[in-house]
Amino acid sequence: MSDDYLWDRSGTPDPTVAELEAMLAPLRLPASLRTLPTRVTSPRSKPYAFLMVLMAEAAMVAALVGSAWMHPVAPAGPALEVTRLSGAPRVGSRVLADRGNWTVGRWLQTDASSRAEIDVGGVGRVEIDPLTRLGLVSTTPGSYRMQLDHGTLHALIWAPPGQFSVATPSSTVVDLGCAYSLTADKNGDGLVEVTSGWVGFVWKGRETFVPAGAVVKTHRGLGPGTPHFPDTSNAFRDAIDAIDLGRGSPAAREAGLHLILSEAVARDAVTLWHLLTRVEMNQRTAVFDRLAQFVPPPSAVTREGIGSGDRQMLDRWWDEMGFGSADWWRVWQQQWRER
Amino acid sequence: MQTMTALARSAPAPTGTGDLVRAAQRGDRDAFATLYSGFARMVHGVLLSRVPHAAAEDLVQDVFIAAMEGLESLREPEAFGGWLCTIARNRATDFLRRSPQMTALPDTLTSLAAGPADRSEALAVLAVIRAMPDAYRETLTLRLVEGMTGPEIAVRTGLTEGSVRVNLHRGMKLLRERLERRPA
Repeated sequence: MSDDYLWDRSGTPDPTVAELEAMLAPLRLPASLRTLPTRVTSPRSKPYAFLMVLMAEAAMVAALVGSAWMHPVAPAGPALEVTRLSGAPRVGSRVLADRGNWTVGRWLQTDASSRAEIDVGGVGRVEIDPLTRLGLVSTTPGSYRMQLDHGTLHALIWAPPGQFSVATPSSTVVDLGCAYSLTADKNGDGLVEVTSGWVGFVWKGRETFVPAGAVVKTHRGLGPGTPHFPDTSNAFRDAIDAIDLGRGSPAAREAGLHLILSEAVARDAVTLWHLLTRVEMNQRTAVFDRLAQFVPPPSAVTREGIGSGDRQMLDRWWDEMGFGSADWWRVWQQQWRER
Repeated sequence: MQTMTALARSAPAPTGTGDLVRAAQRGDRDAFATLYSGFARMVHGVLLSRVPHAAAEDLVQDVFIAAMEGLESLREPEAFGGWLCTIARNRATDFLRRSPQMTALPDTLTSLAAGPADRSEALAVLAVIRAMPDAYRETLTLRLVEGMTGPEIAVRTGLTEGSVRVNLHRGMKLLRERLERRPA
């Protein structure tokens, strides 16, 4: 038999070659990894999103030093130390023995029986649960950045606010001096539970702040939802989901909003504050009035201003709630954009 | 026995590869992405002919990061394919050298995102290919696993078509013999 088929697949197929091709095809590089999108607009769950992030960061570094992007780029910070807590966590393709280094650009993965702990450069500690895939984006001083593809992490950060952040397919979680758990599923949806301090989210201009004891869902394509306390009624939580996702008829959502307003107690002020900009314009007055019963608005804050989404007024009212000043968040956001 | 390195020639690069490399050297990210698309399968194949399947995908990323960082030092843009092959081979060697300290995952374990266990037969055949001489295992992996044709392999790796044809012919002959000798 000629080698034509082996050479370029022309001629009569060689049965052995054809059989081997079919058998070995599942081992080839998956189609999803054969291209490298050139624009990074948001965190993605594609396996090589991480390389895209690295490319983007390399470009940013090069731009900052005024040189071409392809010039050799120093690693984006030192390695972090990872300790195996159970099972066989992997750093990249290697199984972690007991302790090892996790370098920028690598995935840290756990299977169903593995857990690991990360020392975040002396500014905090992160534990990851089984079935988690976490990427390390940056460890430069003042900017520890990770990317949670899926799974669960528990972060305890004692660095100044804003130095530690985790991107997921549906949000970027920014530590504001706190402890929290973050879960992301493979569909890109997630949940954050804050146990102390508070965290901030940013997603395509949509902001969310979550205080200790509260939770918030994040939705792929929509970003963070409205924070609330987990022991509210099922109907309360369903109503929040309906508003966040635009689910159900307008009349049903309005009925849900009234239920939220009627069931809300003082601690739910944080939920109402977020709803001020998330409900229909004609519903904002009702939310304003209910929130004002729990946290009187500062004198310069008006119904009209809040109704139109005036950012300064919203920030002033937030500051009255005792979770910390919004000024700091604005400064941090500006620094983030300028990086 | 000729090795792949000894057989390396300056075969014609894919149309525009040199231009793409020069553009990428100037910082053009689109150009680098195009190079990635053109050469990712080759890199994966070269790696897969040396390291366990579970490790190869991660190492592809390593190879392109190394290429990205070192591209400025490439003096002959048309030789990009051969240069990338060398990075991939070195990265695989580095991976295997470190494996005594860092336990390499055996091929019988699938990665978290990998496919079903019925790949075991394919992995067994791949192990046979991996045990073959360098010149054959790379070419056969690119042909039988990655699905590249002989002419494509020549263009991407920088080998002459004659060398690739010889490697495929002799390699396939040896593979048939070794597969026939395998216990049922």
